[in-house]
Amino acid sequence: MSIVLEARELTRHYEISRGLFKANALVRALNGVSFQLEAGKTLAVVGESGCGKSTLARALTLIEEPSSGSLQIAGQEVAGAGKAQHKQLRRDVQMVFQNPYASLNPRQKIGDQLAEPLLINTNLSRAERRERVQSMMQQVGLRPEHYQRYPHMFSGGQRQRIALARAMMLQPKVLVADEPTSALDVSIQAQVLNLFMDLQEQYQTGYVFISHNLAVVRHVADDVLVMYLGRPAEMGPADLIYQRPLHPYTRALLSATPAIHPDPAKPKIKIAGELPNPLDPPPGCAFHKRCPHASERCQVEVPELRLIDARQVACHHAEAIAG
Amino acid sequence: MSLLDIRNLSVRFGTADAIPVVDGLDLSVDKGEVLAIVGESGSGKSVTMMALMGLIDAPGIVRADSLRFDGHDMLTLKGRQRRQVVGKDLAMVFQDPMTALNPSYTVGFQIEEVLRQHLGLKGKAARARALQLLERVEIPGAASRLDAYPHQLSGGMSQRVAIAMAIAAEPKLLIADEPTTALDVTIQAQIMDLLLDLQRDEGMGLVLITHDLAVVAETAQRVCVMYAGQAVEIGSVPTLFDAPTHPYTEALLKAVPEQNWGEHSLGAERLATLPGIVPGRYDRPVGCLLSPRCPYAQPHCREQRPALEPHLRGAVRCFYPLNLTAEVA
Repeated sequence: MSIVLEARELTRHYEISRGLFKANALVRALNGVSFQLEAGKTLAVVGESGCGKSTLARALTLIEEPSSGSLQIAGQEVAGAGKAQHKQLRRDVQMVFQNPYASLNPRQKIGDQLAEPLLINTNLSRAERRERVQSMMQQVGLRPEHYQRYPHMFSGGQRQRIALARAMMLQPKVLVADEPTSALDVSIQAQVLNLFMDLQEQYQTGYVFISHNLAVVRHVADDVLVMYLGRPAEMGPADLIYQRPLHPYTRALLSATPAIHPDPAKPKIKIAGELPNPLDPPPGCAFHKRCPHASERCQVEVPELRLIDARQVACHHAEAIAG
Repeated sequence: MSLLDIRNLSVRFGTADAIPVVDGLDLSVDKGEVLAIVGESGSGKSVTMMALMGLIDAPGIVRADSLRFDGHDMLTLKGRQRRQVVGKDLAMVFQDPMTALNPSYTVGFQIEEVLRQHLGLKGKAARARALQLLERVEIPGAASRLDAYPHQLSGGMSQRVAIAMAIAAEPKLLIADEPTTALDVTIQAQIMDLLLDLQRDEGMGLVLITHDLAVVAETAQRVCVMYAGQAVEIGSVPTLFDAPTHPYTEALLKAVPEQNWGEHSLGAERLATLPGIVPGRYDRPVGCLLSPRCPYAQPHCREQRPALEPHLRGAVRCFYPLNLTAEVA
């Protein structure tokens, strides 16, 4: 299988002004993330607000340049690419946003919005563009008469179908979806998730699927990347991570997710406290203040990702937890 | 007698013959009971409780045969008398904690306001009690948080403060409208634990409004499932989740992705879905409201609306309920 997206030590820091006479503060929103994504596979990025998921999405879609680290899209290095190459790279990575009420232009007809990527990036004639748009609309379950309508005439689920259709118009190699179903009701969410999977099967697109909903991720993901405060906590095949999570944070996340048929025999892992202030992260492991396994070593030494049991874990005590 | 008793509640917006947003709802909550109201957006779950709280203004029209809370008739209660009940015996926690608190006043002041209004506590006594309340909702460093403004708190902390305000006057019934929807999953677990702890310790009734079936399965004793303004199924947990009797409940449960973390066949699987969307205001079917989307619909369903019929395990609004045959016969 071909690798469509490869990130190496991707990092993004933001400087925050704290007023005239104070030095700027540094937020390490993304702190060294590496992964590979194959065509037709899905990498899910999970974590709570402020863990750097959306910063990662912005870096992957070339909306923002990373502070350091490298990114390859379909084998092509992003840094140092010329203008023409950059344009081609942008074609290959598309994005679906969380809120379908904000991501569509309210003054433009659906048909025109779907045709716009073709207008900018291809030399197709008007009639050819229209034909492509119509066939894509049919694939995502929209009717031909919807071509002439405006976004406000659609429900949230339909709008997300339109957003997905627009992202797929150029048949990108990589699709980054940032919480694509979290604004939708559960029965509509199921329809949209199915559509995501149908399109992936057909076009063999690589998905980076960002979500905080672990049940949704379980359904779509081949690989999972769990993030905490800008760093990867655990990364590996979804089956392994869900059945035997090794990082204490992954274990807590999975345990905190409510289930339709809760297992009373399984005790809940409770973690106290909240995400630390990203302006002033604790020394050592960022999770140590909330971690039930934390030791003195965790307070001083930042754990590196290590390969344990076929997945990567950033925890000093992973072996003991695997036990 | 039950603590809260709602009979044939309907809420309309606009004219008296407008399509009701809540339609013929019967509901009761006992002392110390946890009832969940589940449904998708627009199903009328929040409007029901807003009607009870008296938060529906013109052009909203609230009608009911009975809307009784703890001996008060909430339909006729006016002005000062209503304010003595609402906020004291009947309290509410809202979805978005960031907008539920007043940004211009400190947390301590806002909690003390409840104590002053409803319990007549003033000065040091009020402050001491406010501190106790913050400690009760497990806010770390409670003493220093009394003088904090809402913008200085995280979402989870703000929700804890909102809960502290709601329980300040020791309510008999607490209504929580999507209390954890805006929060992360580890914080959601903390807040749900806190709400259930409080409910148990104080013997409050708790009405939990949510769209998250999994949260209901882990917390509630009884569930009311709403669809397009009507209660379609009422039942107890976990029976309702093991053997749903209404096709809509069944469809909702099937649409929830991946409920066990175990074996999983990747790629091939698709979620079971209910085709189409909830009927809007102007395209309501003549018969059962679910009939255009229901896989079990018969010609009869498209012509007549079913009523909410009680059965051994609860009540269901369907001509052909599922999982019931053995008991009915």
